[in-house]
Amino acid sequence: MGTPNARVKGILFNIQQFSVHDGPGIRTIAFFKGCPLRCIWCSNPESQSATPELAYNPERCLTFDHCVRCLEICTPGAIHKNDDNRPRIDRRLCTQCLLCTDACPAKALWGYGETTSVAQVLEAVERDGVFYARSGGGLTLSGGEPMHQPAFAIALLEEARRHRINTAMETCGHCRTADLVSAAAHLNTLIYDLKIMDDSLHRQYTGVSNALILSNLKQVRQACPQLPVLVRTPIIPGINDNAEAIAAIVDFIAGMPRVRYEMLAYHRMGTPKYGYLGRTYEIAETALADGRMTQLKQMVHHRHPDLPLVQ
Amino acid sequence: MEPQTIDRCEVLSPQERRIQEDQLGRENAYLASRKRVSAILNSFQAMRPKIDIERALYFTRSMRETEGQPLILRWAKAMRRIAENITVYIDPHQLLAGRAGCPGRYGILYPELDGDFLGLAIEQLPKRVESPFNITDEDARLLIEEVAPYWKGKTFHEDLAVALPEETLRLTYHPENVLLSRYIVNETASFRSSLQWVHDFEKVVKRGFASIRDEARQRLEELDPFSPVNNMEKRPFLEAIIIDCEAIITWAHRHAELAAQMAAAESDPQRKAELEHIAEICRRVPEHPARNFQEAMQSQWFAQMWSRIEQKTGTVISNGRMDQYLYPFYKQDLDAGLIDEDQATEMLECMWVAMAQFIDLYISPNGSDFNEGYAHWEAVTIGGQTKDGRDATNDLTYLFLRSKQQFPLNYPDLCARIHARAPERYLWEVAETIKEGSGFPKLLNDEEIIPLHLAKGATFEEIYDYSGSGCAEVRMPNRDTYTSGCAYINFAAALEMALYNGRMKLYGDERIGLETGDPREFKTFDEFWNAYLTQQTNFLKHAFIQQHIIIRLRHRHFAFPLGSALHDLCMEHCLDLHTPQIPGGIDLGYFECIGYGTVIDSLSAIKRLVFEEKKLTMAQLIQAMEANFDGYEDVRHFLMNVPCYGNNTPYADEIGKAIDRAAVQFAHKYSRELGVHLDLRYVPFTSHVPFGRVVSATPNGRKAWSPLSDGSSASHGADNNGPTAILLSNFNTKNYDYRERAARLLNIKLSPKTVAGEEGTAKLVSFLRTFCDLKLWHIQFNIINRETLLAAQKDPEKYRGLIVRIAGYSAYFVDLSPELQDDLIRRTEHGTI
Repeated sequence: MGTPNARVKGILFNIQQFSVHDGPGIRTIAFFKGCPLRCIWCSNPESQSATPELAYNPERCLTFDHCVRCLEICTPGAIHKNDDNRPRIDRRLCTQCLLCTDACPAKALWGYGETTSVAQVLEAVERDGVFYARSGGGLTLSGGEPMHQPAFAIALLEEARRHRINTAMETCGHCRTADLVSAAAHLNTLIYDLKIMDDSLHRQYTGVSNALILSNLKQVRQACPQLPVLVRTPIIPGINDNAEAIAAIVDFIAGMPRVRYEMLAYHRMGTPKYGYLGRTYEIAETALADGRMTQLKQMVHHRHPDLPLVQ
Repeated sequence: MEPQTIDRCEVLSPQERRIQEDQLGRENAYLASRKRVSAILNSFQAMRPKIDIERALYFTRSMRETEGQPLILRWAKAMRRIAENITVYIDPHQLLAGRAGCPGRYGILYPELDGDFLGLAIEQLPKRVESPFNITDEDARLLIEEVAPYWKGKTFHEDLAVALPEETLRLTYHPENVLLSRYIVNETASFRSSLQWVHDFEKVVKRGFASIRDEARQRLEELDPFSPVNNMEKRPFLEAIIIDCEAIITWAHRHAELAAQMAAAESDPQRKAELEHIAEICRRVPEHPARNFQEAMQSQWFAQMWSRIEQKTGTVISNGRMDQYLYPFYKQDLDAGLIDEDQATEMLECMWVAMAQFIDLYISPNGSDFNEGYAHWEAVTIGGQTKDGRDATNDLTYLFLRSKQQFPLNYPDLCARIHARAPERYLWEVAETIKEGSGFPKLLNDEEIIPLHLAKGATFEEIYDYSGSGCAEVRMPNRDTYTSGCAYINFAAALEMALYNGRMKLYGDERIGLETGDPREFKTFDEFWNAYLTQQTNFLKHAFIQQHIIIRLRHRHFAFPLGSALHDLCMEHCLDLHTPQIPGGIDLGYFECIGYGTVIDSLSAIKRLVFEEKKLTMAQLIQAMEANFDGYEDVRHFLMNVPCYGNNTPYADEIGKAIDRAAVQFAHKYSRELGVHLDLRYVPFTSHVPFGRVVSATPNGRKAWSPLSDGSSASHGADNNGPTAILLSNFNTKNYDYRERAARLLNIKLSPKTVAGEEGTAKLVSFLRTFCDLKLWHIQFNIINRETLLAAQKDPEKYRGLIVRIAGYSAYFVDLSPELQDDLIRRTEHGTI
């Protein structure tokens, strides 16, 4: 692939094949590393930092009885012997050189984040092309936040379209308006997160104001009126799992053309990943009340019967 | 560990729900609505099978009296003896008359095939772990004193064992005891007289045996009375056809008499009427053409049971395209108001429960290892295309699918053909049936099978009309001819011999393969690859030598008047179906690759870790394997984390393609001189378990003596990119530029949650369409929660009815050996499509 676009590089932390949940059909998802938000419920903590980082799962470790390779290779001395005869990682000393990940036979140590070119992503995507044709699937950019690496994201989308690959992008909307509009021009579907309408609460739980997010949605809607947009809200217990919070969101989008709405139930699937990164998940103990999702869906349906609601 | 119970699963398959209901003591609503078949089912389910010796006894007595005569004539006379003397049965509640042995689950014996195993078998069958059988003391005595002595020195197996050259024998049997297989280049010709087969059942139901007999009589009259060939070859053939046609008619008439007697003694008026009707039908078919649906079913049933009595065809005779040849009868009765959907379904289910009672008995340890769980595959084919290439689905197709969705039985095997223009409704119903969770139907892909067989010499008309046969094969009942069982080759053993200079750990210092050098002295991966290839090619050489001998020996031991009577080419040339070459026929055989994934992953590990990254030396690797990785867990983990087959990664798939290519090129060069299409196939039955038992630790981190990878599936746990990746890896490793490929069997295990609801069905349909696009041959599914399998292993009594997919067939999980149960549990379960 010789086009300049093909050589543009960025940092991904995963290319997941055969996803059926993010966009139409069977899709390949490119997960971008780096995010401007710090949502306290985030289920992809490995996506937040923009640079590669070390992960460690002691359950996979063979213990020092069998192998001491990581201990020997770590020059900054960030790996120590723990009481359970496994490594303990001193994150303050770790330089994220990731040499230990290559030395580890059991893949108990690995890195999140790898520099990848547009050409490499498309090669991986096209290897599964036969499944897209039958299912109407394609490529989805996710993260992290794709718009946190705008040049890479836009090049990838433009190139994907040139290859006639169906494209979708998930975004939190907190990005430069011009970048978002450029990206949108190459999209078949835009998936846009709206989390909380109350700005002070938004700041409290995500770390940023929602002003730019709300205005960007309007802008992109205006710039690309034909583009189907799926607005999504993660329903988080104790934060936005109430009628009032959700009503505010759907009131905001109800008049917009070609917009569908979906609520995603809070899950704790990301919890172990906090552990791998040496962090703790602060809201791991909470759970949604039984039937809450159904109640909220009914409320949305009554309030805006014409708003297509994804079940 | 948390307790494993079915209740912990998020989504249950319909089969799992039924088992749960049953455990809670609730009645199965479907079975409750089907009193007749449930009564029959209850009469034999969970019963240990018995051996019925009548067939072996009458066959042997007749053969003793006809020595010196042409074989096919002796066979026909033996069949006549059986037809006149064997006990005939009509089971309570049954609408179809006839069985090949005693009530309950039963197996019959073919001492002409492997009678030298009888002594061993009678001692071991009742107590063997996998698929045990019972036999009475009196029957055991008759076998030992009368049957076995006659066959001593005359069986096919003995003849084969003495004919094998020393080098070939060493790879086939234990040199000191030919009753034991070595599982390296394993012959399968001595536990079946042929590969799986399908008769032209349309001929049976439309013409009847009187018409075939009359044709033979006519031909007999026209023979040149002075021609030596006519006298010595054609005359005995035609006489045999006449005798055998009359034998099956006699046998049917004895059922008519029995039915009439039973009717006379019956007090229940409804059953009395049924029996009178059965008597009338048995007087009519299979002698004459069937006139309605029930007669067609009865005619087909007599023919298939007679076929089983006559010959031990591999995996039992398959049923052919039932939705095609029965449809005119069904339609006619339906239009005339003589039958409704429920009655037709009941007739079909009467056949299924009758079929389920006949067990394909393997008396040799080798045969039973291949076919655990009382395997038999009388595949019923549905769907596909008509002879002129139009979609063939009809109302009966959907009736078969519905019967299979609701009726909890592992027989018969249902085989659904799919093609590029298969209607959406058909694929939807197929997907719904797969979701039921008991492994039905398996799918065969017209888009691979049809062009491939055109290249092998079929006409469009013949191959458009193919039937599924056995576990993954296909047959054209009037074009291809009978092929003997072929070699199963342990590719993982070839790898072991490349590692240990022609030796295997299990057999110590004995040199079994070729000396290809000490791999610790190899400088490049190519050197190792060449050593492996030399061993693989040597195995193929001996497999082909085996086949050459088998082809020339077999027709001296076996004849099949019934199969020949139903075959256009046999009738035309007056040749038995076992004849090595029948003019105009196509012999479709294969040799089997066992341990494909194991070998690819092992070569990938050696290439990557020893020669490219140099993380290990060959000496370290061999040391770790010799210790079975005890104390070398780190080495084992490095080995397991290289690119593996089944993930759609070019690194591993290119190795797989090269292995496949070397094998198909060998076949391309040498199968022609054998006169058989001896092509490369990947269908293990359950043999990857015993083949694993002889292979020590392998460079993919597999522990010694554990199962090899099965068929063209990935090694256990090695495929972690989802089920679409294993499809693509299969595609990537096939050599589409050669016609020397045969079936690849592909197992996919999905959690019920993945395919839940309408959305799940839609996903499964698009998955099946892509399978079709990729021109893969075969696919089958287990849709079951891992927890259910674990629970069934722990508490078999509660899970007696649990049906799982093995390899081209489904079986009761609790009938399997613990080893195979573990193997099934370890198959990677995919949580997404």
